[in-house]
Amino acid sequence: MGVERINSATLDPRGTAEKFEDAVKIIYAAIEQLNPQLAKGQQLQASLDTALFGSEGKLDSLGVANLIVIMEQKLEESYGFKVDLTEDDPFSLGSGHFRNISSLATYIFDLVQHHARTAS
Amino acid sequence: MKVSLISDFNIQNLAHLLANDAKEPLCTVETADFGQGVNALSNPGLTADFAFVWTLADKAVPSFNRLLNGDAVGDGQLRDEVHGFAERVRASIGRFRGVLLASWVCPPYYRRRSITDLQKGRVKNALMRMNLQLAEEFAPSSGVHVLDAQEWVGAGGRKCFSPKLWYLTKTPFTSEVFQETVGDIKAGISGLLGQSKKLIILDLDNTLWGGTVGDCGWQNVRVGGHDYVGEAFADFQRALKLLSNTGVQLAVASKNEEAVALETIHLHPEMVLRAQDFAAWRINWKDKAANISELAEELNIGLQSIVFIDDNPIERTRVREALPEVYVPEWPTDPTLFASHLLHMPCFDMPYTTEEDRLRTSSYSSEKIRERLRQTFNSQEQWLLSLDTQVTVENLNDVNLPRFVQLFNKTNQINLTTRRMTDVQVLQWSEKHNARFWTFRIKDRCGDSGLTGIVGIEINGNSARISDFILSCRVMGRNIERAMLAVTVEYCRSRGLRDLTATYIPTAKNKPCLEFWLNSGFTFDSANKSFLWILDKPYPFPSGITLTCLGDGQPQQAEAEWTMRSSVEDIGTETSRL
Repeated sequence: MGVERINSATLDPRGTAEKFEDAVKIIYAAIEQLNPQLAKGQQLQASLDTALFGSEGKLDSLGVANLIVIMEQKLEESYGFKVDLTEDDPFSLGSGHFRNISSLATYIFDLVQHHARTAS
Repeated sequence: MKVSLISDFNIQNLAHLLANDAKEPLCTVETADFGQGVNALSNPGLTADFAFVWTLADKAVPSFNRLLNGDAVGDGQLRDEVHGFAERVRASIGRFRGVLLASWVCPPYYRRRSITDLQKGRVKNALMRMNLQLAEEFAPSSGVHVLDAQEWVGAGGRKCFSPKLWYLTKTPFTSEVFQETVGDIKAGISGLLGQSKKLIILDLDNTLWGGTVGDCGWQNVRVGGHDYVGEAFADFQRALKLLSNTGVQLAVASKNEEAVALETIHLHPEMVLRAQDFAAWRINWKDKAANISELAEELNIGLQSIVFIDDNPIERTRVREALPEVYVPEWPTDPTLFASHLLHMPCFDMPYTTEEDRLRTSSYSSEKIRERLRQTFNSQEQWLLSLDTQVTVENLNDVNLPRFVQLFNKTNQINLTTRRMTDVQVLQWSEKHNARFWTFRIKDRCGDSGLTGIVGIEINGNSARISDFILSCRVMGRNIERAMLAVTVEYCRSRGLRDLTATYIPTAKNKPCLEFWLNSGFTFDSANKSFLWILDKPYPFPSGITLTCLGDGQPQQAEAEWTMRSSVEDIGTETSRL
């Protein structure tokens, strides 16, 4: 699954749902790249409610680190700015953005929106 | 195949990529604790078929680490440490069917580009010397094969290293690098198992040359010359010739008028490949899958050893469907990519190239001469006498070991037990079980077939058992089989043994071996599929064959040399012991 360069966040006129969908697609592309580096039992499904880390998550610390590296690379390629996914307490079981794919997509969406507001 | 990954960095990502890769050979993977580095090779808990070792230069060679930090380091220190590392790897030979050892690369977290990099005493100069020494520490038959890790890192380019991945997980390379590594590990294992491809069958129009010769004539096909497309096709032919020199055979399956196509091959001045470079061809209007099957039968090569290259996707699909065992790679449409695409295919990897490999195409020509000769005689016996066959028998030794292992692992039809062993296992077996291996070289007036026969025996008390009886199909049916038995029987008689047995282990392909043995004169026990020769009498030596036995080259066997001379007229044998 390739990742297309998304319109600069500052100029993107599309709606919220579409922008959220962009974040989800990037995550799914990252998972597709990540899965061959995971043991069979750890491999992730491309679904919003797929748990990533924590009591229900399949990823161990190596898996999460791999996901972070791949995601950051894809986010920079897609949005044109560097993202650090290790900020904001990502592994908090209650509020961390690596709980599941939906929480990660929401975090990325918020990040991009914040970047758009501060850059404009 | 089970593979142990040994490293001094976190190699889990590579382990999973290797385990998950769907291409043959499928691998299960175990990893050693990376804190042990290369010392993990001696871990008794490792139970794999193959080991893959990848260490970081600055950890494996402490003097190199000092060099990275700017200290002056003497050549001798580096040499001693590299040798020590090699010794630790060498100590593991025998535990695995083969060890694949990655060369050292410049640490990705240390990169400096400087005009002094390659000066003596500098980091990159030292690294090149270390790798050269590492490669030279291990002979081709040692069981350790050094792989070029720089190829993998180079393929990763700017994405070869992720600082975040390194600092978070101690994984120095990204998946872009590891994917290349997986490819080379599998190619190496396939080669060591004798599964590398042996025959490339090629289309002609727009594959070997540009254009359709039937339409434009041989003078106007694009090959060579001052034409970038022609140059690309010429380079593709050069790449094919390079593979041919390593023992991969070439053949043609083309829909064309044969005379027109052959005229191009003969006459076009820029053709790199000529008729003598092809072992066989089928140039006609028949279905290509049928032609490929015929070629496989003519050349006695299994379909699983064949690669079919054709620019036409319809033909490729047709052959894939009709002959699923044949490997039909997707082929680029742009001829400028043909040569590189071919040379990057890993399916031709072989651990050694022997003289037999280099001469294989000419051996097919010799076979055609023999066949033409056969048709001039009224009887098989007369034809065999006319060949003036010479058989040279020699013990297994360091020089013939590569060819021995190659023949041992790829022969199917005349193969009594179809054992498969790597070079390490062959040597271990011959030392451990009071065993003996002989090689048989065959030549006649039509050509030299090289080392094409193997007999292995195991002696227990007064009895001997033939563990291996192998003959290349290229020389079968010329009484070589009987010569091999005669030598074996005579050796056992010279040792004062009582009987010699052999047990046939059936496979899907070795029925011709059974057919020979049923007519060999040995007593057959059908219940056990075993054959017996009581050693109170010699085995009749076939007429028409001159036999020479060469002296022992194995230092570990302190036996009297045994020589035997036989002439064409003398059916009996004359044995003398030095």
